[in-house]
Amino acid sequence: MAPSWQHLARLDEVPVGESKGFDPRGEGRDSLFVVRTGEAFVVAYRNACPHVSGARMAWKKDRFMSGDGRHIACFAHGALFRPKDGLCVSGPCQGQYLTAVEVAIRGEELYLRLDNLCHEGVMQSRKELEA
Amino acid sequence: MRIMGPDEVVFGVDDVEASRTFLVDFGLEEQRQADGSLRFAALDGTAIRIHHREAEGLPAPLPTANSLRQTVWGVEDQAALDAIAEELSQDREVRALPGGGVGCRDDVGFEIAFQVTVRRPLDLPPERINSPGAAPGRGANQIGADETAPALPRTLSHVVYFTPDMERMQRFYIDRLGFVVTDHFTNTGPFLRPQANDDHHVLFLLQTPDYMQGLEHVAFHMQGPSELMLAGTRMINKGYESFWGPGKHKFGSNWFWYFNSPMGVHVEYDADMDKHDERWTAREAPSNAETSQLFLFQSTPKWAPMGGPPPGKES
Repeated sequence: MAPSWQHLARLDEVPVGESKGFDPRGEGRDSLFVVRTGEAFVVAYRNACPHVSGARMAWKKDRFMSGDGRHIACFAHGALFRPKDGLCVSGPCQGQYLTAVEVAIRGEELYLRLDNLCHEGVMQSRKELEA
Repeated sequence: MRIMGPDEVVFGVDDVEASRTFLVDFGLEEQRQADGSLRFAALDGTAIRIHHREAEGLPAPLPTANSLRQTVWGVEDQAALDAIAEELSQDREVRALPGGGVGCRDDVGFEIAFQVTVRRPLDLPPERINSPGAAPGRGANQIGADETAPALPRTLSHVVYFTPDMERMQRFYIDRLGFVVTDHFTNTGPFLRPQANDDHHVLFLLQTPDYMQGLEHVAFHMQGPSELMLAGTRMINKGYESFWGPGKHKFGSNWFWYFNSPMGVHVEYDADMDKHDERWTAREAPSNAETSQLFLFQSTPKWAPMGGPPPGKES
């Protein structure tokens, strides 16, 4: 089966070095977030800190980055994660990883891959779309 | 040891502006200090103090990435301050601080200081409720739901530490500083009350691995449950991230609502905490969801489907 994709945002809605939360399933909370790591590079992870099951990570809507912009941070207990692979380099879940979510840039748009995801919420949103 | 409670919690942060935004929205009053730091005060003058993490003169950081730099305890008077300085001078260096306080480290390496308290006595109305069978708290035509009411933290309530050595740490606060255990979570830690404060706890300890040492949260007392809900709802509406709450704890009976913060610790609204005296016998329970929350609500922006059924579906 060909992968299916859901449009998330225009790429310029996530400036380079910044992050943005998304709620593709309409749960009323951002279940994943995207970090624009470069002009043509993005990464995305579940908004769930590996330290405390399901803990939401931002301190405010879309604010997932440390003050110096070098790391993804969990503002629950101060864990820092490497943007490129989600490895926790400092804090209570050191050595553990964020759960990656597949996203892609096509032209000036950002898409979320709806199949083959670890994220239960996103899997369900695919089922809803197919229904 | 006549300690009243935390007067000030000092942080060294990497994003001062984000911390400022958060703490002002939380309801604290910004007070710019001569040394360049920012103080964010509750109504009685107790406060969170924010420095940039590389500011000069700041107490050394913990061995972890936690942004806590110092906890300043308010004591009743100069005699109480002198007694603490004398006690702690027996086995550690106690530094005189500008402003008349003294500073040192506790037995697991947290920077602590003591000062004659800055707490101003408050004379404020309680939450007023109407309860059948009791005299009305609000008379005829006095409205309880006021969306425009201020909801300002009244006083610093308590601090909670992640400690790598709970036994050693509690012995220090109990044996050296006269704290009393009000209740105890097995395998987690004690709720502690100092001698000059009857609140259920001003200090709670959580045993953790070394690499987590630091502050878990700092809490402020609100007027009552309604004001806590109002303040927390305003935070949610501004896009802040709730961590736990709103709900009501069992030990302490206080209402709670915890928020993530740019300091990388939680900041809590609490309300309506139990009070105790020397006749109280400490309870013990395992720490879990069942014992830590009497009840828990979670906010959801979608409380009902609006505008009819989705296309292609029957209602």
